[in-house]
Amino acid sequence: MGLLCSKSRHYTEADTEENAQAAEIERRIEQETKAEKHIQKLLLLGAGESGKSTIFKQIKLLFQTGFDEAELKSYVSVIDANIYQTIKILYDGSKEFAQNADSSKYVLSSENKVIGEKLSEIGSKLDYPRLNRELAEEIGNLWKDSAIQETYARGNELQVPDCTNYFMENLQRLSDANYVPTKEDVLYARVRTTGVVEIQFSPVRENKKSGEVYRLFDVGGQRNERRKWIHLFEGVTAVIFCAAINEYDQTLFKDEQKNRMMETKELFDWVLKQPCFEKTSFMLFLNKFDIFESKVLTVPLNVCEWFKDYQPVSTGKQEIEHAYEYIKKKFEELYFQSTAPDRVDRVFKVYRTTALNQKVVKKTFKLVDETLRRRNLFEAGLL
Amino acid sequence: MASCSAVHGGCPSDYVAVSIAIFSMILLLVRSSFPFLIHNVPSAKGSAFWIPAIQVIASFNFLLGIVMAGNFVKYKKNHWWLSCYVWAVWVEGPLGFGLLMSCRIAQAFHLYYAFVKRRLPPIRSHFFLPLIVLPWIAGSAIVQVKKPLNYRCHLGTFWIIVAICLHTSYIVVLVIFTGAIRHIEFRFDELKDLWQGILVSASLIGLWASAYILNEVHDDIPWLQVTSRFLLLTTASILVLVFFSISISQPLLTQIGFIKREPLEFKTMRQALGIPDSGLLLRRDQAVVIDPNEPLDKLLTDKKFRQSFMAFADSCLAGESVHFFEEVHELGKIPIDDSVRRIYMARHIINKYIIAGAAMEVNISHRSRQAILNTTDITHPDLFSDALNELIQLMKTNLAKDYWSSLYFINLKDETRARSNGHEMEQMSGGYSYSPRLSCVQAMDDPFHHDHDHDHFSCDSSQDVHDPYP
Repeated sequence: MGLLCSKSRHYTEADTEENAQAAEIERRIEQETKAEKHIQKLLLLGAGESGKSTIFKQIKLLFQTGFDEAELKSYVSVIDANIYQTIKILYDGSKEFAQNADSSKYVLSSENKVIGEKLSEIGSKLDYPRLNRELAEEIGNLWKDSAIQETYARGNELQVPDCTNYFMENLQRLSDANYVPTKEDVLYARVRTTGVVEIQFSPVRENKKSGEVYRLFDVGGQRNERRKWIHLFEGVTAVIFCAAINEYDQTLFKDEQKNRMMETKELFDWVLKQPCFEKTSFMLFLNKFDIFESKVLTVPLNVCEWFKDYQPVSTGKQEIEHAYEYIKKKFEELYFQSTAPDRVDRVFKVYRTTALNQKVVKKTFKLVDETLRRRNLFEAGLL
Repeated sequence: MASCSAVHGGCPSDYVAVSIAIFSMILLLVRSSFPFLIHNVPSAKGSAFWIPAIQVIASFNFLLGIVMAGNFVKYKKNHWWLSCYVWAVWVEGPLGFGLLMSCRIAQAFHLYYAFVKRRLPPIRSHFFLPLIVLPWIAGSAIVQVKKPLNYRCHLGTFWIIVAICLHTSYIVVLVIFTGAIRHIEFRFDELKDLWQGILVSASLIGLWASAYILNEVHDDIPWLQVTSRFLLLTTASILVLVFFSISISQPLLTQIGFIKREPLEFKTMRQALGIPDSGLLLRRDQAVVIDPNEPLDKLLTDKKFRQSFMAFADSCLAGESVHFFEEVHELGKIPIDDSVRRIYMARHIINKYIIAGAAMEVNISHRSRQAILNTTDITHPDLFSDALNELIQLMKTNLAKDYWSSLYFINLKDETRARSNGHEMEQMSGGYSYSPRLSCVQAMDDPFHHDHDHDHFSCDSSQDVHDPYP
């Protein structure tokens, strides 16, 4: 109030001191607003299991102090839980398939059945026992059973997490008494996020001048969690939308009739149309490219309704590239369909990512950072 | 007086009747929306909202149909939509009385399934309601085709008997359903409302039949016509008001009185059902040492810890899991043989946490959800165990670690220390909302915002988010 008043008054000697004070306050407020403006809010959005939390962990590893030993050790129970839950899903799945199928390829050998029942029992309890050599061996044997492998091949019909193969291959190491998870183990560990988590970080650039401060928010992707997203939509600089492109043949955790890719499509459409995001930049991360690579050559894209007009042209690496470009084009089409004409100048970029690969994430984030910086300068009228 | 006519309406009694009808409609609207507006109760979703809403609309149609077709006011019937058939047959029938009775039958059906068969109704209300209204629509179609109405909008004797049969048959169906559940000791006014509804609708039909008979027998007596239609409209208005009840779909709201500023007597289902408060096994002055190494589900049984943890979870927008834990814990305290209370609590939990799109829907797998919704015994003690296990896992992996380093836990430790030292318990205002998970959130319409016990969480609505300094 005082500032406004002082501007219109005549300057007298008694006023000069006040003016100096007022100027100082004004300068400080300006500084603070500038500092606040530099906190860029980034939201990680996407359907369940699209890789948001993995990207979040990667950013933590890249730009913060990373994981200390205590935090790494805290993931042991998570990894154990993942293993027990996965083997239980596979075992229960094999029983289900055995009931419906005519052939006996889903029927386990009798000793493996015993192991399976025991593990299923463990998997349904609240507290999981720590993985030891004995259990690891039993799980390993069950995993190698052909019935379980056949069930795993049909894993897209069950809710088999993507980390299954990795953990099953490493059972020996994971069951060690003094096991401390590696960074890679932590990245593979699957935790369903509920609520909202945030971190604040400042990407250190080549010239070491700390530039903008980013505040990154990670959310849960399941349907009930999406109700909560709306609380975060105010003042967002950029939305990083994660879409797992390997999910075109899988169904949802929450609604086992719905195809995951269709769900992602609808979700992306919904997010784009949000009124708060008029000036928000959109970074689309087409994630899980590594799994996509191995899947697209065996499972055709047209099993998903959205991709039904896809025509494969070749084989091998060329085919993978072709399929990827097709999906990218589909998302771009969707973006332009859902964007009103007055918003068409907001930034939209598509990135190919494998969230588990730190190099890829680092490079991708650098590009994102550059884009946002350029956008800032553009907004400030300096470009 | 000159314009007053038995045939064309316009008598003072007609105007009085119409104003009574309008008044009762207004009263009905007030009564239906009162709990939501005055006491800021969040509006229900799904059938708990739609069935009362459809009842209000059907009541309106019913009264409107009677007014338009009953020769109360003079108007030129030159448009097709002002014709007798539209009002007397369609609006009053399937869209009015038929819909009204069908709503009640649907509600009685839900109660029957919940309390007698102990499961959730197999047919969702979206299908059940149109199904029951179908006979009315068929009947109206037949009448439309045969066109038996005379110029005064009256049916012939044969048709009137058919119409009265249809009306009474619905009342009979409602009586049957109500009879099937009359032995249940409901905690709220459900049964009373059903009997009331039956009584009033039966008396209305009785009045209608007698009025009609008198009219037909003494066709030429004008005052009979005028009085009979006056009585018909007024009884219909009273019916519509008395018939409406929210006890069946929203039992807790029946506690709300019409006097303003009267606080909700029972805020939660737990209080309404009389379940004792939890966590009071330990005496107040005994210090409860919170040991982070104990399993989370044991720690959560202590009330103080649970409240602190709940406040923390609410601040990270993950509170529904803890609320679910609390309510399932309360369900566990109801004795196994008290099935009525168990059913109330279980239904309440399902409507609030399990149904897709519920206010505080929890993050459980599709299989767990379907297992709960398709259960054959809603009173089973382990109904929610799987879901609870999943959610405790979720809480452990997401919230537990961050909670130990949050200010909420520090406050809790200070409180217990203060208590164990014999000091008076300081009111820890807990104004700092610092948590390592989330610094602040724009929570204009926060579904996890609860006014009881813990911190009132407010956030400034500026563009950027500030880090409050601890």
